[in-house]
Amino acid sequence: MTSAFLKLDRVTKRFRNVIAVDKASLDVGKGELLVLLGPSGCGKTTTLRIIAGLETPDEGRVYIDGVDVTDMEPGDRDVSMVFQDYALYPHMSVFDNIAFPLTVRRGKLRLSRRDIEERVLKVAKMLRIEELLDRKPPQLSGGQQQRVALARALVREPKVWLMDEPLSNLDALVRMQVRAELKRLQKDLGITMVYVTHDQIEALTLADRIAVMNKGRVLQVGSPKDVYENPEHVFVATFIGAPPMNILECKATEEILECPGFSRPLQPSTRGLQGKLYVGIRPEHIEIVSISEVTKEDVVEAKVYVVEPLGSEYIVNAVLEGEIVKVRTSRELLLSPGDTVYLKIDWSRASVFDFESGGSLGKLLKR
Amino acid sequence: MKKSFISRRAFKTLALNLVVWVFALAWMLPFIGLVAVSIQPYREVVVKGWVRVPDLSSLTLNNYIEALRNPLYDLATGYRNSVIVAFLSSLIPVVAAALTAYAFANLDFRLKALLFATILFIMMVPQQLTVVPLFLLYRNLGLYDTFQGIILLHSAWGIAWVTFFLRNYFRFIPRSLVEAARVDGASEITIFYKIILPLSIPALIASFIMQFTWVWNDLFYALVFLASRDKQVITQKVVMLKGEFHIDWGLLTAGSIISMSTPLILYVVFNKYFMRGVAAWGVKR
Repeated sequence: MTSAFLKLDRVTKRFRNVIAVDKASLDVGKGELLVLLGPSGCGKTTTLRIIAGLETPDEGRVYIDGVDVTDMEPGDRDVSMVFQDYALYPHMSVFDNIAFPLTVRRGKLRLSRRDIEERVLKVAKMLRIEELLDRKPPQLSGGQQQRVALARALVREPKVWLMDEPLSNLDALVRMQVRAELKRLQKDLGITMVYVTHDQIEALTLADRIAVMNKGRVLQVGSPKDVYENPEHVFVATFIGAPPMNILECKATEEILECPGFSRPLQPSTRGLQGKLYVGIRPEHIEIVSISEVTKEDVVEAKVYVVEPLGSEYIVNAVLEGEIVKVRTSRELLLSPGDTVYLKIDWSRASVFDFESGGSLGKLLKR
Repeated sequence: MKKSFISRRAFKTLALNLVVWVFALAWMLPFIGLVAVSIQPYREVVVKGWVRVPDLSSLTLNNYIEALRNPLYDLATGYRNSVIVAFLSSLIPVVAAALTAYAFANLDFRLKALLFATILFIMMVPQQLTVVPLFLLYRNLGLYDTFQGIILLHSAWGIAWVTFFLRNYFRFIPRSLVEAARVDGASEITIFYKIILPLSIPALIASFIMQFTWVWNDLFYALVFLASRDKQVITQKVVMLKGEFHIDWGLLTAGSIISMSTPLILYVVFNKYFMRGVAAWGVKR
């Protein structure tokens, strides 16, 4: 049907009057890792559950490997899912937990007890949990439970792996370690994976492509670099990046762009802009300069609000007529709140968004 | 300084213990009296009263033997009948209600809310209200004075509240466990047997014991629906230990203790599960 291995075609899901997922379309290639990223309540988990078959969409179709699975039971779709709370069966041993997807369909898969044992041991070895097989889940640490959940999802060799914030219950160090392992595993085994998270770092590090969702809609699908550098929607710009893109509410007239605290002439190529709009500038595209370095027209004057040290770099919060602008700098500057600073903005990397729809209007300057 | 602190704590503990024991004694006094009277000859109770340390030399089990053996009272038959009726009237509703409760807790179907409300409503109906039509119905169906009849009756009442009880318990089990099993390809029956039931053993035991105790202690339905001597349950037999003009307190108390012993023993044996079942789901996840 299409070249996409997993395809969502204008899927909509309503819960009473709330639209959880709004005409979401996605294509995931075979062996690709797609991350669904968005704030809580954006519909990413519902989208995942629709793929799993735990929710039935009100409109739209879901295809896996060319087959329309929209009306299929979850168990018939050949997908596996790792839940946020791992959903390990507390009364079964680790071995029985991992074996469960095989034992319940032993007849269908024509597996002997030996076959099951072999396959469980194989994944257990891969995830380094062989010595835990006799234990029960409540006796395991969070990281170990996580591995068991991964093993259970892996043992069946499913067509699509679904992950619902699987790392959010782990502490920071373990999370980073498991994250790297997960990506390696996915690449080594060539598994098609859909991964839900609200953590943009997780999304940027793991994903082949990211789908950013908000209020039930898929706003942008692209590579991490693409989503970071060329946000197609003001929401994407404010959601990705730490700290996120600075968004200034500006007004364009024939030749002038008026922003809080400053205004600048518009170049002929961007004269089409008219009226209210958002201008977005990444914190790393603003430089703090001393007044002697440049002429005054090129810079914007601001007051320091606070400086946040991040170890290797600093986030300077500067106030422009009541608006806080974040500046990322690696230089150690001796600044105190209230000091005057001069900001040099790299206008060639500034983005412009429509005030009404939030959609991208491209870059402010054509490079 | 430290010493006085410790002694104050000791005093507190002592005072608390004292209060608790006083309450416990007040609570247990009727039972103690029951036991005391049941193991003494009637004559001694009448002459000396029952609130005293019994005379060890006069202790006897005659009251128990008399109550169980004497064909006039025939408590043994009543006991056997009670075991049959109470066991089946507890097993049937727990099995049936577990299935119903699973549907209410984990499946979506039409009229679910209405059906559940109906079950709650049935729970509220006073049993006395239904007895006349049921009596007429049972007479017509030939269920009057049969074990099947009374078991059916108790089971029907039991299914309603056990469904309610188990459905609430099942809802404590994280929904993701059920969903994980569904994605893994398990059928609803498999999920029920392999996931939900093993995790609900405390609730199953708790509801079984509560229903068992309820049925065992029932006198009202037994009086209405079981008439012949060989079908009567123990509560009916205990009542008959009391004569019209003469009450042998020793015999009556012995009968009462035989009657109440079974639910009590069940409760003591399964106390651990019972508490967990009633206090709901507390497993670390």
